[in-house]
Amino acid sequence: MKGVNHSFGSAPSGIMEPPEVLLPQPDIFARRALRMRELAEQVPPLADFLSFMARMVQAQQQVLDGREPAWRPTPGAFDVALEHGMPPLSAASLRRELDWRADLAALLDALELHVAERQSPLLEALRAKTDDQLEELAELILEIKPGTDADRGLLPFVAAAMQVAWARLALALPRTPERPTGAARSLCPCCGSRPVASVIHIEKDRQGVRYLHCSLCETEWHLERVTCTTCHKGGQLHYFGLDEADGKLALPAQAEACGHCNSYLKIVPREFNASAEPLADDLASLVLDLMLDEQGTYARNGYNPLLIAG
Amino acid sequence: MSVRVSRRSFLKLGAAGLGASSMAMMGFAPEQALASIRHFKLTGSTMTRNICTYCSVGCGMLLYTRGDGAINVIDQVYHVEGDPDHPVSRGSLCPRGAGVLDFINSETRVKYPEVREPFTNEWKRISWDEALDRIARHMKDDRDRNFETHDDKGQLVNRWLTTSMVAASACTNETAYLTQKIARALGMLVVDNQARV
Repeated sequence: MKGVNHSFGSAPSGIMEPPEVLLPQPDIFARRALRMRELAEQVPPLADFLSFMARMVQAQQQVLDGREPAWRPTPGAFDVALEHGMPPLSAASLRRELDWRADLAALLDALELHVAERQSPLLEALRAKTDDQLEELAELILEIKPGTDADRGLLPFVAAAMQVAWARLALALPRTPERPTGAARSLCPCCGSRPVASVIHIEKDRQGVRYLHCSLCETEWHLERVTCTTCHKGGQLHYFGLDEADGKLALPAQAEACGHCNSYLKIVPREFNASAEPLADDLASLVLDLMLDEQGTYARNGYNPLLIAG
Repeated sequence: MSVRVSRRSFLKLGAAGLGASSMAMMGFAPEQALASIRHFKLTGSTMTRNICTYCSVGCGMLLYTRGDGAINVIDQVYHVEGDPDHPVSRGSLCPRGAGVLDFINSETRVKYPEVREPFTNEWKRISWDEALDRIARHMKDDRDRNFETHDDKGQLVNRWLTTSMVAASACTNETAYLTQKIARALGMLVVDNQARV
């Protein structure tokens, strides 16, 4: 157990010392794909969509495992950023350095044999894009813009490739960055992106602790429970969940909605299902978004690059 | 601290947005998902952070309340767990704290002032005003009768030994400060805290 040091000496800190920032695990996409296949069976209205996304996520794992990127940062490249609490993998500054376009090509190859007739034109369209056009799509994702109708169907593929490129760097970071502070508490300490959703873990050293999950580099970082991820207030947090008609819990994902700023982010308590995963469970609980939109009080604050609204 | 919230940063994921979403553009029909709304029920609960009332350790608690804060709805606490972010308790609760739910929802929980008059055996509900008036009256009478300005040796003491005060455990520094000020100003020497018991 680590102690807390202060000017009067040191004191034991308590029974649990949760890590502040969790870098992604090497099998992140494989576990997500597994969960998506599970959810595809549980949520029939989204079965086709989730099955396809499961294949895409599986392909992400394949690319992450199999491809050695052309560019790797030098060993000390991130020291200054880490020392000064800046996101070392800042999305805006690394976009041109990373060869995520090669990851995209590899991803499309891995998907080739698994796509249905409806989706294969998307692969062709992506292959036909020039580098500049692909960079424009990447910019839409980093700026969280919906793009044109024609582009929108391509964005999830581009985002998936970028996730691989950034997760690869996050995996190789020499040490974890510190947890963001102040107004940046809801932005990824590795790449500065917005979270997809938050997750409550069940492991012994982080039981019941909430982490935000990055939409780009798969890093997770600690944010206190019962704290709004938009305005960081804690007094009026409501949790909306989905019940089946017979009153059984339908899906573990809930919407953590704040009465101060009227925004919500999904929260996935793994207490209900140990294999629950923020990005997959956010996609599968789409009905929750639709119901909250119909109700009209709260606006969504999470960005899931695998489902981009028009 | 306040953060400026821009509506631009919110994303619209509703029925309209779904029809033109990447999902639809990738060839997955959103109609089924839209229709499936009818199969589900939206449930709301509220979570509140609090401090255990029982002892001076002051463990952090998360209280789950049914309902989404709507007006005219009586909220009911249905679950209590340790607050994993609390610097003192880090998510743990002792058996007494973990059982606080039964205390909160207990039928015999005291929710308003009551008095059992001398020579009766039943409790009678009274108003807060009446309760405070009666307590003040008792304190004044007792203090007038028993306040000592000098002890046996003629030394100035200004003390009131016949009444004592027991402070609550879940009090902040500010409450403790006020408790001390009031008790000492009255000349009370015996002040204790129920957190010790």
